[in-house]
Amino acid sequence: MVGATALTLEGLVAVDADVVRLRRGDLNALAELVTRYQNRLYRYLLRLVRQPAEAEDLFQQTWLRVVEKIGSFDASRNFDARLFTLARNLAIDHLRRIRPESLDEPLANSSHSETVADRIPSKDQTPLDHALATERRTEISEAMAGLTMVYREVLTLRFEDEMKIEEIAQVTAVPVSTVKSRLRRSLEQLRYALEARYSGGTWQ
Amino acid sequence: MSEHDKIRELLALAAADTLTSAEEKQVAEHLRSCGACSNELAAWQPIASELRRLPTPQPSSWLVRATLARAEAKLSEQAEQEWNRRVMIVVVALAWLLTIASWPVSQFVSGRFGSLLGPKFSHTWISFAAFTALGWLAGGVAAVVLAIRQRGERRLA
Repeated sequence: MVGATALTLEGLVAVDADVVRLRRGDLNALAELVTRYQNRLYRYLLRLVRQPAEAEDLFQQTWLRVVEKIGSFDASRNFDARLFTLARNLAIDHLRRIRPESLDEPLANSSHSETVADRIPSKDQTPLDHALATERRTEISEAMAGLTMVYREVLTLRFEDEMKIEEIAQVTAVPVSTVKSRLRRSLEQLRYALEARYSGGTWQ
Repeated sequence: MSEHDKIRELLALAAADTLTSAEEKQVAEHLRSCGACSNELAAWQPIASELRRLPTPQPSSWLVRATLARAEAKLSEQAEQEWNRRVMIVVVALAWLLTIASWPVSQFVSGRFGSLLGPKFSHTWISFAAFTALGWLAGGVAAVVLAIRQRGERRLA
């Protein structure tokens, strides 16, 4: 999965160069940025809104907003944070407008889409291992989709996007202590939801 | 809150690799002597590990292409607007310059340029200032009319 986690130092330098080129109106720089961030941004939006059609619309709106605001981007703030903050604001506005209740309430029977590559078992897995792993991922995906938006958000940014706590604080515009507390509570709720599926047993 | 309870609260964050180095040391020290907390941390590990391995949903190639096309169109539109804005600034500045310059030029052509330095100096400069103010006023009215028109166009777009 290319570009599915936070960027390395080299990647960040390349992004900064692309941002400078985009400010000058370079269309190739825009294509490079979209390609570099497509998987991370789409995944983030899908985790927030849970509906692929809405995530697709927000994906487009986010990039249009980037183009609109590129001239006012603060160079001291990294592009990741700006991009994810723009996407977050658009997603929250959308949810408030379309389904205000969804900012708090869990959604039943929601599952995350997966790629063809994800369905191919790795060489060191037996078919049984693969089946069990797939089942566990489905369970954890469903349990995660049942959490409130801020909990889904902190989980995807930390575990899937591998952002540091400070970076998550920048994107979500809350103090580091709040991010830590959200992360702990989201994990506790996720574990509770998983264990509830096993009538008092432990999800392992 | 006892030391044991404090450490227990940190275990989920330990599985998420988000402890500070001081907290990490504290937890490691406590785990050496507390079987219950070691088991608790072991219960968090598979959850954290599965979260890291969740499949990444990918946008369709159609979506990426459509996004690029829309964003490129927007970028071109913005570049065109910026160009138009610059041209308008230059044209307005030129109009003002011509208005202001036309006074001394007309005085020069009519052979009364010397009056600028003559005995009726103050009278001449009051007329000049009034003429300039009229030029600025006309420019200002034009700018307001253009701004209203642009706002109307933006609303329609």
